[in-house]
Amino acid sequence: MNDLINDLYQEIILDHGREPRNFGECEPHNKSADGHNPLCGDSLKLTFLLNDQNIIEDIKFIGEGCAISLASASLMTEKLKGKKIEVAEEIFKDFTNLVSGSDEDLKVLNEEDSLYALKGVGGFPMRVKCATMAWHAFNQALKD
Amino acid sequence: MDDSKTLNLNVRKDFPILSKKILEKKDLIYFDTAASAQKPNTVINETNDFYKNHYSNVSRGVHTLSVESTFRYEDARKKVQKFLNARSENEIIFTKSATEGINLVAQTFYEKFMQKGDEVILSLIEHHSNLIPWFFLRDKYGVVLKFANIQPSGEIDIDHFDSLFTDKTKIVSLTHLSNVFGTELNEKVISICKDKRVPILLDGCQSAAHLKIDVQKLGCDFFVFSGHKTYGPAGIGVLYGTENLLSEMPPYQGGGGMIGDVSLEGASYAELPAKYEAGTPPLVEAHGLGIAIDYMNKIGLDNIIEHENEITKYAFNKLNEIDFIEIHGGDNKRNSIISFNIKNVHSHEVSSFLDVEGIAIRAGHHCCQPLMKHLGVNSTARLSFGVYNSLEEVDKFVIALHKCKEFFNK
Repeated sequence: MNDLINDLYQEIILDHGREPRNFGECEPHNKSADGHNPLCGDSLKLTFLLNDQNIIEDIKFIGEGCAISLASASLMTEKLKGKKIEVAEEIFKDFTNLVSGSDEDLKVLNEEDSLYALKGVGGFPMRVKCATMAWHAFNQALKD
Repeated sequence: MDDSKTLNLNVRKDFPILSKKILEKKDLIYFDTAASAQKPNTVINETNDFYKNHYSNVSRGVHTLSVESTFRYEDARKKVQKFLNARSENEIIFTKSATEGINLVAQTFYEKFMQKGDEVILSLIEHHSNLIPWFFLRDKYGVVLKFANIQPSGEIDIDHFDSLFTDKTKIVSLTHLSNVFGTELNEKVISICKDKRVPILLDGCQSAAHLKIDVQKLGCDFFVFSGHKTYGPAGIGVLYGTENLLSEMPPYQGGGGMIGDVSLEGASYAELPAKYEAGTPPLVEAHGLGIAIDYMNKIGLDNIIEHENEITKYAFNKLNEIDFIEIHGGDNKRNSIISFNIKNVHSHEVSSFLDVEGIAIRAGHHCCQPLMKHLGVNSTARLSFGVYNSLEEVDKFVIALHKCKEFFNK
């Protein structure tokens, strides 16, 4: 099997794509945003609860899409739960760099991280948007 | 099968991109002609030659290069006129795209013939480019849009379509060949429009290179298609309209080239077709489209259609035998397009997987989100064929599909 395909679809991606974690809506929540990829029709709704210490207490998503977009959203919720907002924002920046094909200068992510499994997306430029949809929704929710 | 192989061997060498290796080792199998067709050498070389040896602006100067450019531009119009069998060159308007052609008709037809509360009939299978220009009329002017249902076969439900007409129906706009199902519009639909004396626009983006087009025989009032889907350059489109309607409708954009006489108090407008061609047109692209038409004529449209029909039928039968494949649009005849899904695998995964095998297919909603909703799918994978494809490529594709299914269900 081609290496590019194996890099793109690592076991953890296929697993999270088939059975996304934290799938649903957060109740209660005080932050939410919709993610949408108009070019392919994939979409999701992200909800989370930010407590008064700026910690993400709970975070969930619902949506439909390809394995990459679902796995990315699923892994994101796992990673961000319990994190302070400032840390989450650093992870967001690192992740964006990672899937764009550059894993130099990463501040908080390293090869041990499950999010690293999405690095293979860098070999498929047209799929980067699939991997970042949930993250852009997260970023949007923080701004709203 | 032998004929088709021969035809394929003869034309594949005409398309330089087909010798490209994908990821440095895989032969390119291009099954995405419905999104955009590849270009033959003649189109590439002739457009190059235009810039190198003949280029200037059209219809403006009197010097040699202006004459050479104008000749090529207008010669392309003649070729398009013959290609569509229009009555006159005045009925051929060059646009930048088929999309621009539909926008042009929507805006100017409304201005001349419609008012608030008037109705337009469209259908569920339309491409966004044949929806949004009409949405603009709904949003800006209170025009009412009605949508014909489709049958499971992917064809328009004739009875439902017929029932949508009222005395306020002013125009109908439909795809001639569905970019998702590959099904051709039932000619009954056009005769209903004729009976009711309502003009009909056909979106011919998918039909122009894959069916023989005769706008007079079809009886449509408008027909649009794009250069890039017919082996020509991107950036050039064609709007055919009957001289009657085009004469009555007002100009679309204002600018150079579309005027008769201008003073600071006002202007008169040029005769057809210049009336609708404000600004410097995509002249080299128009020439390239003319060369693409020459290319299709040289092979023979009948041969191209027969070749593509054979491949489409072959691919349909192969896909139909596979239990994990769901084909959209029933068993009816298709022209060069097949939409399908691998059960439980998103079309993006299918397309990325095939990509590394060297196979280019389209995945997504095909700019038909309302139709995807109707089908109850998020997206589909789409195969589409051109003159350069072969049965052997279909065989390779089917093997890759099995590998794909295995990979995602491991």
